[in-house]
Amino acid sequence: MEKKLSEMKYGAQGIVKSIKGDLRNKVAGMGIRVNKRIRMATKQPIKGPVVVTVDESNISLGLGIAENIIVEVEK
Amino acid sequence: MKLSVDERWDIIDKISKETVKFGEYRHTLKDALAEITVKPLTGIPIAIAVLYGFWSFFGAFAGFFTDGFLVKLFDGHWLPWLQDVFPGGLGNWFYSIMVDAGHMESGVLVAADNCFESFGVLTSGLFVAIGVVLPAIIAFYLFLIILEDSGYLPRLAVLIDTVFHKIGLHGFAVVPMILSLGCNVPAVTATRNLETKKQRFMMMTLLAIFIPCGAQLGIMLDVIPEYVGFVMLYLFLGFFVFGFILNELIPGKSPEMILDVPPYHMPTGRNVGRKLWARLRGFFTVAIPFVLLGVVFVNVLYLVGVIDWLANVFEPVLVGWFGVPKETTAPLVAAFMRKDLAVGQLMGIQEQLGMVAFNTYQLVTSVVLVSLYFPCIATVAMIIKEGMQDRGKGVITFLLGSLAVLMAVVFIWGGLLHLIWIILGVA
Amino acid sequence: MRILLMGHPNVGKSVVFNRITGANVTESNYPGTTVDYEKGYVRIGHEEMEVIDVPGTFSLEPKDKAEEVAVKMLERNKDSVVVCIIDSTKIERGLYLALEIIERGSRVVVALNMWDIAEDKNINIDVEKLRQILGVPVVPTIAVSGEGIKELVSRISGATSVKIESVMKNVGGS
Repeated sequence: MEKKLSEMKYGAQGIVKSIKGDLRNKVAGMGIRVNKRIRMATKQPIKGPVVVTVDESNISLGLGIAENIIVEVEK
Repeated sequence: MKLSVDERWDIIDKISKETVKFGEYRHTLKDALAEITVKPLTGIPIAIAVLYGFWSFFGAFAGFFTDGFLVKLFDGHWLPWLQDVFPGGLGNWFYSIMVDAGHMESGVLVAADNCFESFGVLTSGLFVAIGVVLPAIIAFYLFLIILEDSGYLPRLAVLIDTVFHKIGLHGFAVVPMILSLGCNVPAVTATRNLETKKQRFMMMTLLAIFIPCGAQLGIMLDVIPEYVGFVMLYLFLGFFVFGFILNELIPGKSPEMILDVPPYHMPTGRNVGRKLWARLRGFFTVAIPFVLLGVVFVNVLYLVGVIDWLANVFEPVLVGWFGVPKETTAPLVAAFMRKDLAVGQLMGIQEQLGMVAFNTYQLVTSVVLVSLYFPCIATVAMIIKEGMQDRGKGVITFLLGSLAVLMAVVFIWGGLLHLIWIILGVA
Repeated sequence: MRILLMGHPNVGKSVVFNRITGANVTESNYPGTTVDYEKGYVRIGHEEMEVIDVPGTFSLEPKDKAEEVAVKMLERNKDSVVVCIIDSTKIERGLYLALEIIERGSRVVVALNMWDIAEDKNINIDVEKLRQILGVPVVPTIAVSGEGIKELVSRISGATSVKIESVMKNVGGS
């Protein structure tokens, strides 16, 4: 099922399907890219940022940024 | 030829397939620690504990050396010795600048009995710099360097992002903010980690106004230990209130955070030592000369009557609006040079005037004013430098903007404190 | 000739810098406090070379002012040798930056730093093959203990720029 990264539950995993526009360049250097496995490591409360894991690297993204990344979530 | 993002990753996937074998990954204690310190349920209490630990260590370390040892050394031995051997004596202009100007007590000029009151270059100047501020600076940087080298700071940034987000900044702003608690100068440079000009302008302005430096913290802890908590709370609150207002007023974008959260490392003694030494070298070569020069500067202004003149000019504002005695003029002048010096001087003035003329609440207001009001010269120079890089010719607007915010804050936030005292019935 | 040290924040870049130059520079492992650059010197053969510790950056698409500084330094020093320092445990995203630098036509030497940690994590990198594919020197290093630094320095003067097309060809793509 495809979901926005921002809507992924804590602990969920999936494969990145698409990244909107300019953001693709911005997160590329940190290893976040299409077809990559991504795991939701933590979500901060009250619309706080998420922390995702890609290739054993942890990256924190603001929720507004995470909305622009679409993930095929595994059941 | 330049590739697109996808083309580049495509090549990397192929290279990786050809050259890298990822074995079974075993999770370690470090990973577990990494996880519990960033998850909100465990991470927030840990963050509070860490920051509280920071504060306690700072107070305990600085207090141990300053109160336990250095105060006795300076007040008990150094000051009497100087008063004894320094040529000139009370009333002599050179003696006034270097050792002790003395003060009037029922019509008689009497000598000071501690290094706050005397306000000479060799007495208050050295005492503030070495007796009070040096231990505080050592304690502050020691803890900060360990936090930094271990990799904790980015986690703190993640946890605190929500709060900063409300004022158009993001979690990483916590790094310049904490640095600023040591000294504004490196903190201003660290604002480069924020993305837009709006964010950097906001952060530099707010830092310069609201965040007291380590030197000032050290001396506040020494002279008004029971009120430091309140002063800090009031300043932090101001930071966020005015941050919120600025965010609404200033045009520009406030992009959200994208931050790498690195794994933990054990800080190495060698590196911690090197960094601490670099900071201390900066303190010895830049800060201490400023403290000493500041004493000379203020003393000369006293002697030629400029301070008294300024005090009379600003009396209506100081007394009427802020509710502090006109004698606070001199520390406010000193605050241009060094904030620690200004707070030390306030203490000396209170001791001279006595509690009736200058009560504790007024002292707290004065300390807050010293913090809010103009950043020290070193910070101003740094802001101009960064502003030039950021804005080029727009630096003038940038500085005027900062100045306007500063004036508004001093009057509103400083006046509000007076109002609070009035409402509480203590002013 | 100039040498630029580039890499992500927190890959031990400043430690490599200290090892190469012998300078007494503080090492900021984490982003935040080092946003200015450090300069030092190293003698290679008969030539005294300037070494610049460029602020850490994740890519050449700057997302903040500190990264902008890094990109500008690369652009201003087109004829310098870039030592690209990669965290061996995160080699893929490290290669991303390395490729970006190669694309811009700079002469590059790749240092695979934190080699020991990669070994601990069972990450096995075929250095020789990587060297063949990239066409630039690749040297495993452990900056904290100094291992591999000598070899890294010895490779600097021999560095050449490569075309990204040849990298694509070497890896067997179109």
